[in-house]
Amino acid sequence: MMELPATRAGHVGRGLSATAILLFLAMPIVIILVTSFGADGIGTFPPKQYSTHWYQQMAAPGGNWATSIALSSLVAALTTVFSLILGATAATALARGRLPLHAAVYGLVLAPMLIPQVVIALGLFLFFEPVGMLGSPLAIALGHTVLAAPIAILIMISTLKGIDERLEDAAASMGAGRMTIARRITFPLATPGLIAAAVFSFITSFDEFFIAQFMSTPDTRTLPVLVFNALQFDVDPTVTAVSAVLIALAILALALVAVVRKLGGHRNGQNVLPVEPLT
Amino acid sequence: MAGTAVAPAKVRVRKTSALRGHRSRIALVNAVPVTVFLLVMFVYPIIGVLSLSLKGDSGAFTLHWYADALSGANLSVLVSTVRISAETAAASLLVGFVLAHAIARMRPVFAALAMLIVVVPHFISALVRTYGWIIMLGEHGLINSLATSVHAPGAPYSLLYNETGVVIGTTSVMLPYTVLVLQGVMRGVDGRLLAAAAGFGASRFTIFRRIYLPLVAPGIGTAGLLSFILCLGYYITPALMGGDRQTVVAALIDQQVMQQDRWNSAAAFGVILLLLTFAGLGVLGLARWRRGKAHARRSGS
Repeated sequence: MMELPATRAGHVGRGLSATAILLFLAMPIVIILVTSFGADGIGTFPPKQYSTHWYQQMAAPGGNWATSIALSSLVAALTTVFSLILGATAATALARGRLPLHAAVYGLVLAPMLIPQVVIALGLFLFFEPVGMLGSPLAIALGHTVLAAPIAILIMISTLKGIDERLEDAAASMGAGRMTIARRITFPLATPGLIAAAVFSFITSFDEFFIAQFMSTPDTRTLPVLVFNALQFDVDPTVTAVSAVLIALAILALALVAVVRKLGGHRNGQNVLPVEPLT
Repeated sequence: MAGTAVAPAKVRVRKTSALRGHRSRIALVNAVPVTVFLLVMFVYPIIGVLSLSLKGDSGAFTLHWYADALSGANLSVLVSTVRISAETAAASLLVGFVLAHAIARMRPVFAALAMLIVVVPHFISALVRTYGWIIMLGEHGLINSLATSVHAPGAPYSLLYNETGVVIGTTSVMLPYTVLVLQGVMRGVDGRLLAAAAGFGASRFTIFRRIYLPLVAPGIGTAGLLSFILCLGYYITPALMGGDRQTVVAALIDQQVMQQDRWNSAAAFGVILLLLTFAGLGVLGLARWRRGKAHARRSGS
């Protein structure tokens, strides 16, 4: 791209402001990671002494934290399964076939990403409360799937669109049946996308707060609900360790997706924010 | 995409026309699960919210809950919500513009690194990031220790449990969206237009105002409205970093459901949030439609 020549002042100015803004984005995360190893819990930064005390506290079996980590993992696993089923079928319909009412279905899929989550959460509360399913891991997972499935669908649509349909046509012309084509051609080529969709569904559910909050009962609180309560009401320094674990989990998940996509030969830049369809 | 699919189709006309009917049948079957799921778990519950908001205690139709939501202390909560969302949209637009503009002119390696720092936090729980801000902005937090150690006038600042803190926190949550939207638009700007304007003697400021800004204006609109819309229903940061004056509608809905059993009132607030969101999306759609029409007119003549 041809550009205007940069002036020196402009160059320095842009560099400094960009660095400041990137620090603004990164600092809260770095602070948590460092503070979580501080012996004195919340308070001074940098900590005077370091320890893994809060991590031990978090992992203590039978404690609130360990229980909610187990619940969140179960809910996230269920959500992942539901989202993959909905994602694979919906993406096939939206990316491949000539679907009647394509725009309506696509709009319905995007809608949960833009509607205020607190309204979705309230609706689900009113939906599950009369049947006594508040606090049920299955109900929370179904609720989380409303938010996770659209993300999985968008990822899988872009994966399927990246697969050359002529490969499937070629297999068909050589006499392969539809199941064989799906199993031997489409599925292997779509695997990186499937893994990305699974990872993002899992993390969407694991980090989700609004639905989990509205559907929680005193005995069943997911990790984010417990973190929110800890920050709002009582000051338990264990929350720094929990936060650090959530950060590590997100970074690991993103790294996993990046590695899988690299191995699958995809280029980066797949958009999982609902930004692309809007612009 | 369409081009590659059409070319081989011409060669085998008979086969593809049979295949096409088959394909739209398969597509229809595949679209069923997600459609049914979202109708039951998403559309129906929201209709439930709507109908509850219009029901009185006896079950008869009433607008009482809306009248209640739009008066007194409740109205001021609504006003704070819109105000905080607007402030956040403005702040994240401004900061996002500066960052996206810088990234657009960076060398590819640095640009990729910068985008990584923008995108990775988005996938980290907003709760966790808000907690990071609480630690940083406190009276003895990093920002105030730095400010006092360099004897900044007025330090320590009160940055927590007021609107400044809330807007700082929500802005950092919305920033990835604005940067991504703006970056997409800025990448599409043809540098030759700017160079041509410079060739005709336009000053840098004129080029920015007359050429660059109009070209990226659609992105500015989208980014601003998107962060405004997303902010409306978001209450993690306001609830944890705000004071009483920063109570937002979503936090009120939470309180009314979890602590006060005032479901009808919560539902009315939910519908109001929904209407505000639709208004924002409507403006977005209208702007896009008008752009599309203007574009069609230009390319038609």
